[in-house]
Amino acid sequence: MANLPLTGIRVLDFTWVLAGPVATRILAAMGAEVIKVERKSGYIAPRTGIHGDLNRDKLSIALNMSAPGAIEIAHRLVRISDLVIDNFSARVMRQWQMDYESLVKIKPDVVCLSMSGFGHTGPRAAYVSFGPTLQAFTGFTLNMADEHGRPAGFSYSYSDSAAGFTGAMAALFGLWRQRQTGQGQFIDFAQFEGLVSLVGPSLLDLTINGRSQKPQGWRSQEAPAAPHGAYRCRARGDDDDRWLVIAASTPDQWRNLVRVMGSPDWAAQPLFATLYLRMRNHEELDAHISRWAANQDAEDAMAKLQQAGVPAGLAANAQDCCARDPQLAARGFWPTISLPEGGQTQVCGIPFKMSHTPVGVRRCSPIAGESNDYVFGELLGLSPAERAELIEKKILWP
Amino acid sequence: MPEQSVLTGLRVLDLTDHKGALCGRILADMGADVIKIEPPGGDAARRIGPFLDDVPHRDRSLFFWFYNLNKRSVTLDLSCPQGTGIFARMAAAADLVIESFAPGRLAALGLGWDRLRQINPALILCSIAPFGQTGPWRDYEANDSILAALGGMLYVCGYPKERPVRPLGLQAYHSGCHYAVIAIMGALFARDRSGAGQWIDVSFQEATASAVEHLAGRYFGENDIPRRYGTMHWFRGFRVARCRNGYVMHSISGDWNTLLEWARGDGKAQELTEPQWSDDSYRRANCERLYQILDEWVKDKDRDQLAERAQTLRLPYAAVRPIDELACDEQLEARGYFVDVEHPELGRTFRYPGAPFRLDATPWRVYRRPPLVGEHTAEILGGELGIGAEELAVLNAQGVI
Repeated sequence: MANLPLTGIRVLDFTWVLAGPVATRILAAMGAEVIKVERKSGYIAPRTGIHGDLNRDKLSIALNMSAPGAIEIAHRLVRISDLVIDNFSARVMRQWQMDYESLVKIKPDVVCLSMSGFGHTGPRAAYVSFGPTLQAFTGFTLNMADEHGRPAGFSYSYSDSAAGFTGAMAALFGLWRQRQTGQGQFIDFAQFEGLVSLVGPSLLDLTINGRSQKPQGWRSQEAPAAPHGAYRCRARGDDDDRWLVIAASTPDQWRNLVRVMGSPDWAAQPLFATLYLRMRNHEELDAHISRWAANQDAEDAMAKLQQAGVPAGLAANAQDCCARDPQLAARGFWPTISLPEGGQTQVCGIPFKMSHTPVGVRRCSPIAGESNDYVFGELLGLSPAERAELIEKKILWP
Repeated sequence: MPEQSVLTGLRVLDLTDHKGALCGRILADMGADVIKIEPPGGDAARRIGPFLDDVPHRDRSLFFWFYNLNKRSVTLDLSCPQGTGIFARMAAAADLVIESFAPGRLAALGLGWDRLRQINPALILCSIAPFGQTGPWRDYEANDSILAALGGMLYVCGYPKERPVRPLGLQAYHSGCHYAVIAIMGALFARDRSGAGQWIDVSFQEATASAVEHLAGRYFGENDIPRRYGTMHWFRGFRVARCRNGYVMHSISGDWNTLLEWARGDGKAQELTEPQWSDDSYRRANCERLYQILDEWVKDKDRDQLAERAQTLRLPYAAVRPIDELACDEQLEARGYFVDVEHPELGRTFRYPGAPFRLDATPWRVYRRPPLVGEHTAEILGGELGIGAEELAVLNAQGVI
């Protein structure tokens, strides 16, 4: 622990569901001591699966914030923490007297990061939101239409992942300034605004050029490319949902693509002679490439194209990524962690390596309340009798 | 002088192309002095559209503007020894170098990690590459679409068995850049204790994979391979419906009885009063039928009225809006999200997206508009690095700057 980037930093974590736990999972992997405040119910969240993946490396206390007297205990935890983080809408932390205005009185240099859906001000401050609704409201769902014009968007909460990353950055900025100046502050992170900021250059096309933004389909959103698309490949066993993405921008990439395809006659036609012509005639081009791809195994074709210098990649499914991808395996991106009940599981790694202070996964996800003894005993110095009294008063779950 | 912000005084040399440009942009927004080092003629990102008024020009790329606000620009030819020599002098006085070259390229220029740490032991080097600096695919080429594919993001976007839908925005690059910023901040904390810099190796592919919430959890935890489900969220709690004047996002993730009472109050969805529907797992297992019934209920409703009413009932419904509506969104307006940035050389002021998060004591802010090609070459190499006017003239004549 001593040589991790965030050694010595303690985080009191009130987040739940997804965006918040993504943020604190990153801080935990970097060595912060993250104390997750949880309720204890009949349902015991597993150490594996998505919940396990999100909460590894964290500690868990079972503290009933609604019980009289719980706030005093929470405030004692704030006094020994550097960062308090939540992803509720604005009113929840206020009700618990856990908002920045309350906490700064008992811990003047505290950093409070609130990751609400729409922020603490404005007409929508109280709105309830989840990743899919934020994506819809921002425009991702409608502007990611399929080729028939139907809205599609993400089938998962990309917004929560992105908000988790953005929240981790915001937390680190707040903590860094605290370290440098001894001053805390409040960070109002509206996940909606974070997501709007990720729409990208299209936003400037809208606000500056005044251009209405249509779904872009498979048109390249960076350097012009043709072909640029996902092409259906041969089935793998009984799985016929295999696709290969190919992107050719430079004359060399086009030449090499044609060579890998066996230099077919159609590729020599004048209508494919330049990048501009290939883009203008991309429907015919895509039809030719599709016919070629239909007889290819997606992974073999990817390897052949890449070895010829043509950017190409399989549309990988979870099994491809987690069990078959040689690159992710070689870099140890799916670390194995052991479970105290026996057995082990694999989880998602941290997508960067640091030469001097290696970060990574160390511990599996805790069961709710698993760290009560350490946190209330060792950190707060409560005797076993005092802890028993808190359990008696239903402030702590046993 | 502006007040001290979070990263005031941090000197950053930004060698990235369009893939990694967001990383330096975020640091610059927080007050770092980010110097974009461009080849003579300008960064290739300046050739990517859209362009101001659709006039292609290296100082009119909205793509470049988006990713390079708040940075300064120096032109420097790193393919010649004079250029790398000047870079080495700049690195001696810098805190951080960010690069997104093909792995090995920086070392081939004589500016690899071993050399840079000799020049400046406190320097942090952050390398961001499609597949990272190691592994069998290290030298493979990729753009954002290919990274979305290999990171598992693409496969789950779109309709079952049909062609996957390309995500909007360069989200593989964005995720990689977010993690790069996070790692850099970690390296600053570590350097604060040890005095030593270090080398950070970020993989865009891994960053993308880590942004697909259910990829690893479903596979390792449940041995499940998530597929494409159209607009339905994989956990089945959300799906898009057509309404009178557009689309709305349904949600069965709020309070069920509230939703049911509302629909029944409209004289609709009687079938949902059958007892089996009161069970959440039954609802999820039979979500196709459930959403059909709810679709029928909302098909003649007004999009915004429906979403507003749902919110007063604390049901997480939302209007499914086009990107265009962001420009007049009342929440963004009320919070002053968009900011006006003056481009004096064009005699115009443009609206930029603003703070992705608000630190109340050290706010996000605009320090300067995106730089013109080499706009700060003389000020940085001459004024700050101390290269004399005569030498600058020679370097200019040789095409080094």
